[in-house]
Amino acid sequence: MPCERKPMRYGHSEGHTDVCFDDEGKCIVTCGSDGDVRIWESLDDDDPKSINVGEKVYSVALKNGKLVTAVSNNTVQIHTFPEGDPDGILTRFTTNANHVTFNSSGSRVAAGSSDFIVKIVEVVDSSQQKTLRGHDAPVLSVALDPSDEFLASSSCDGSVTVWSIESQTQVAQWKILQKSSDVSNAKSLCRLAWQPRSGKLLAIPVDLTIQLYDRNTWTHVSTLSGDLISQVVNVVVWSPCGKFLAAGTIGGNLLIWDVEAKLCIERQKHEKGFTVCGMAWHPSGGRIAYTDTEGCLGLLEGVSSLSSSSTVQIVNTSKETNDYDDLFDEDDDRMLDEGMSDSRSPVKKPIMEDDDDDDDLMPATGRPRNRGSFLDDDDNSQDPGSVKLDGVPEEDGSSAILPAVGPAVSRPVYEGPMPTQPQRAFQPGSTPVHLMHRFMMWNSVGIVRGYNDDQDNAIDVEFHDTAIHHAMHLTNTLGHTMADLSQEAVLLACEGNNELASKIQCLHFSCWDTHKDWIVDLPKGEDVRALCLGQGWAAVATSALMVRLFSVGGVQKEIFSLPGDVVCMAGHGEQLLIVCHRGTGFDGDQALGIQLLQLGHKRRQVIHGEPLPLSRKSYLAWMDFTAEGTPCCIDSEGVVRMLNRTLGNMWTPVCNTRDSCKSKSDHYWVVGVHENPQQLRCIPCKGARYPPTLPRPAVAVLPFNLLYCQTTTEKGQMEEQYWRSVLFQNHYGFLSSSGYEIDSEGQSRAEKEQQELLMKMFALSCKLEREFRCVELAEMMTHSVVTLAIRYASRSRRMALAQRLSELALEKASQCQEEEQEEEEPAYQSHTSREYRGSNQMSRRQAPVENGCEEEEEYPQEEQMDAEESTETRKLSMHASFSSILFQEYLINIFKLQVSGAGKSSSSPAGQPRTTNVLDSMTMSSRKPAPISGTSKQGKAPVLKPLAPKPKSKVQSMSASKGNSKKLEDSQSEAEKVKPAPAATPPASAENIENRKPKTGFQLWLEENRKSILADNPDFEEMDVIKEGMGRFRTLSAEERLNWTERAKGDSDPKKRKREDEGQVDEQMESNEGSTKKKKPLDTSAKLSAFAFNKE
Amino acid sequence: MDPAEVEFLAEKEMVKIIPNFSLDKIYLIGGDLGPFNPGLPVEVPVWLALNLKQRQKCRIVPPEWMDTDKLEEIREQERKLDTFTPIPSPYYMELAKLLLNHSADNIPKADEIRTLVKDIWDTRVAKLRLSADSFISQQEAHAQLDNLTLMEINTTRSFLLDSLNYMYKLRSNLQPGRSQDY
Repeated sequence: MPCERKPMRYGHSEGHTDVCFDDEGKCIVTCGSDGDVRIWESLDDDDPKSINVGEKVYSVALKNGKLVTAVSNNTVQIHTFPEGDPDGILTRFTTNANHVTFNSSGSRVAAGSSDFIVKIVEVVDSSQQKTLRGHDAPVLSVALDPSDEFLASSSCDGSVTVWSIESQTQVAQWKILQKSSDVSNAKSLCRLAWQPRSGKLLAIPVDLTIQLYDRNTWTHVSTLSGDLISQVVNVVVWSPCGKFLAAGTIGGNLLIWDVEAKLCIERQKHEKGFTVCGMAWHPSGGRIAYTDTEGCLGLLEGVSSLSSSSTVQIVNTSKETNDYDDLFDEDDDRMLDEGMSDSRSPVKKPIMEDDDDDDDLMPATGRPRNRGSFLDDDDNSQDPGSVKLDGVPEEDGSSAILPAVGPAVSRPVYEGPMPTQPQRAFQPGSTPVHLMHRFMMWNSVGIVRGYNDDQDNAIDVEFHDTAIHHAMHLTNTLGHTMADLSQEAVLLACEGNNELASKIQCLHFSCWDTHKDWIVDLPKGEDVRALCLGQGWAAVATSALMVRLFSVGGVQKEIFSLPGDVVCMAGHGEQLLIVCHRGTGFDGDQALGIQLLQLGHKRRQVIHGEPLPLSRKSYLAWMDFTAEGTPCCIDSEGVVRMLNRTLGNMWTPVCNTRDSCKSKSDHYWVVGVHENPQQLRCIPCKGARYPPTLPRPAVAVLPFNLLYCQTTTEKGQMEEQYWRSVLFQNHYGFLSSSGYEIDSEGQSRAEKEQQELLMKMFALSCKLEREFRCVELAEMMTHSVVTLAIRYASRSRRMALAQRLSELALEKASQCQEEEQEEEEPAYQSHTSREYRGSNQMSRRQAPVENGCEEEEEYPQEEQMDAEESTETRKLSMHASFSSILFQEYLINIFKLQVSGAGKSSSSPAGQPRTTNVLDSMTMSSRKPAPISGTSKQGKAPVLKPLAPKPKSKVQSMSASKGNSKKLEDSQSEAEKVKPAPAATPPASAENIENRKPKTGFQLWLEENRKSILADNPDFEEMDVIKEGMGRFRTLSAEERLNWTERAKGDSDPKKRKREDEGQVDEQMESNEGSTKKKKPLDTSAKLSAFAFNKE
Repeated sequence: MDPAEVEFLAEKEMVKIIPNFSLDKIYLIGGDLGPFNPGLPVEVPVWLALNLKQRQKCRIVPPEWMDTDKLEEIREQERKLDTFTPIPSPYYMELAKLLLNHSADNIPKADEIRTLVKDIWDTRVAKLRLSADSFISQQEAHAQLDNLTLMEINTTRSFLLDSLNYMYKLRSNLQPGRSQDY
């Protein structure tokens, strides 16, 4: 069934409610136990008009602009509608009335009270009252007959009575209800209802059924029931056409019957199963409004379409019953109604109609007259405009109208999705224009408020930071409706009308001359739709599908066309973001496109009108840059999406504000997004989408939450945290690339956090014995952390894993080296920052750091040049320091094999970048005082030498490292406990893989210098040779080492190599003599020699 | 204890302000405050809030309980019960006075709140006096009074202790006299 149940919304405080429509069906009127009557323009109306009529309202009725309410002060009052002014008291009881109702013409009001009395009062003259006495208990409900002859009332005494109004006597009485002592104890509200127009039937909710009584005989005609009704029926209402009956039950069921066919054609369940205590049928029959005892209001939409489908059923069944005339007459009425109501959704109808036609055409011979009129109706329903003609052809139109059948059938029937109304242009951070007091802009700079009431038409500009500018108060003579605010200026704009052109006004308060504002008129017929301010420029999108750029001082600059109507714009720095319609959306979706332009020096379009992703059936609610300059959008479903610049400018949902809402009608009105710290600044709005201007709303901060799977598990949480951190770190890259200053401390903090998370995830998957996953995680780590991971793996006796990781570490190291080589000279600046970062990270890891630091201490002046090298060696040294004896053994094995390979041929593919590294680390570890101490001891007692280098952020990193390392150690020892040391078997396969690696510079160097080392120290063993070699190699200057590595790549010419060798030899001579202490002078001389060499 | 001293203690309570300036974290002996972002609520002690307010550097967000509905409820409760009801803040009187005196413009319905707080105070102090009276008249040795605030205790302390002292003196004077009689 195509009947659509709209989501409930909060209307009143908890308690009894009632609902009705106004005569035209434009508004829904509800009342509740909070004493208010609210007038809703629609279900989505966020600002319903509220009329306070008393302490508690029991019932409401509305007709002819008179709003009648039964109030707790024992009166029945009248208010004017829609103004809501009190219009006197209609009648009084000794206790409160339970139900009030109008007659069909609206001339009389009937009210039933708890003092057992029913009164009928003339609306115009409240002195003309008729009192009906006879019930022995509070009256539950009253209903006036459409022909004003009878009144039906139900009471707690268990009876339903029909009174003659004229004689004020009882005409009929049925004891069919359950007795109760009071309304509050009554099981059902027992709202009665007469069939509209004819008044032929009276519907009475009796227990689980609805009984229909005939007007003439006062006999029980039929009973409507449904297997779905499990609880007592509370309310019944007739459709305006009188063919359908809707009922609401205590258990929250909503049912609609076709009375003629006694068919239950629609069943809906209240979304929470609360008691339905008020129902009203829209005058056109297309929808039903209902309220529950929790004060919520709901709407059933599209009731007309189901009723038309049931027509088909009626037609089918009635063919047998030979009751055509009657039926079709009724049908006509209904169709008339429907034609009107259906103008909203004309498409649904024809689908039904086809059946009608087919059904009807076959037995056509019998009764042309009726059929003609029937078909005519269908035409009408398809074309609501011609409804009024309907009455005429019914009399004489049989033959004349028949031909119309043809086209009706052949007319194409569209069943596809319906186009959506394109959303209107808006200013992000503003509340709707129709409000008298509204926010014209609330952004990170300040607030622009617009007042437009009887006394005043003004604009208030207020800055969050009063250091920017003091608050301003402007009279809004031009009627500005749009505003934007930046650190430099306020931009205002109004739409034009017949006489006045659309104007843009800019208050350039940061201007240093005396003329602080400028006004520009747009060409006639062109209206401003959206505007924004950037740094030094303003942009205005107009109804002529154009964007006009201005300088902030008022110079007109570029103009360009847009592919569609603009939705909103945003500016930040030199970036301009434009959202416009790309086409027609369907089924509630919007088709929006987004453009991101880079203004300023290097002008380019970054995003070229690509579709903007939104939630289903939602529209764009907010769109702006984050404080850091990343575009961010929020749709009406509350999903916050952020542009992910490192993922090809895709949009990543980062938060759903609706998740933090307590109730369905609550919303968060976003005013700003910050990436560092991660903050979503918004204003909580209870029961509305927008905040009121008074009392001044307070900003709340929501956290971001990426929608990762299984965030209840530790793994999911860490993954979410990691990726969130990565995403929110993207802006550093963007900012530095576009030449802004960045918070490098924040950046390194974020990076550190990421690496920590990776390490934790690594530890977790290690514990779960997911080694493949471990490697995957390690791939995401920086190489310094990989070494830590290797240590962890080897500590927890996962040699295979450690092996794989060490391969990975080498790969990373070489990658890193290459990268750095490439960018060494041109990107000096970034180089240093990187170096700084690297060392910062390094110094955080306690034990291994000392080596690196020591080195730095030794060559302070070389620090920068040496950065990549030292980072690398330090990494390796870290690698070394963790290696336990077990591991050492294995390393030695590798080493031997590789050395032999290296000795054989320099051109062989058996390059061993890793080997060298391993060796390197070996040396380092052997240098340590107690490399042969127990595994656990080594981990727990890292030797911390006094660290001096990099005074920058030293303290911080130290303290950070303490907590960090402790944690790691804990988890490590834990892991160790879990895994009781399986014997480490060096994997054979690893060696094969290694052989494929290219050689490093050090190996080449070692090959050439092995002899000299051996000559110097003839008693050296292979290990010592390499150790010594390492020491010497390290003393080489960066350029020299660079040369070696380049050579290792195989592109240096032999001549050069030779020369270099000479230099090398000299240097070695010196270095042999020098002890470790002497390294410093040695190094400078090496450096000098390198310099001289380069000069040659 | 001086009421001013109690007020001084109350100034340590935290309150939310919306600053209109930008400042990094400040490190004080009592703890770190901030960072201050214009337009973003931040919690600071009352003394700082009032200082900033006086320099027009912030707006004070009234504490949650400083709301007519909530206070009315408390007042009704207070009137209904014979015992002291729990109060939302141990320094409600002091805070109400401080905040209402210095930043009434930031608190909606300031006058109503002032009256309500005064009503609550009066009710509670009346109760306190009543209980002191019955305490003395029934010559009890001890009494339990829950949910009293420092300020309330302070108002009655000097009077109650002094009067008890006097009464003790009078009684002890009486006693020897009696013993002489015997």
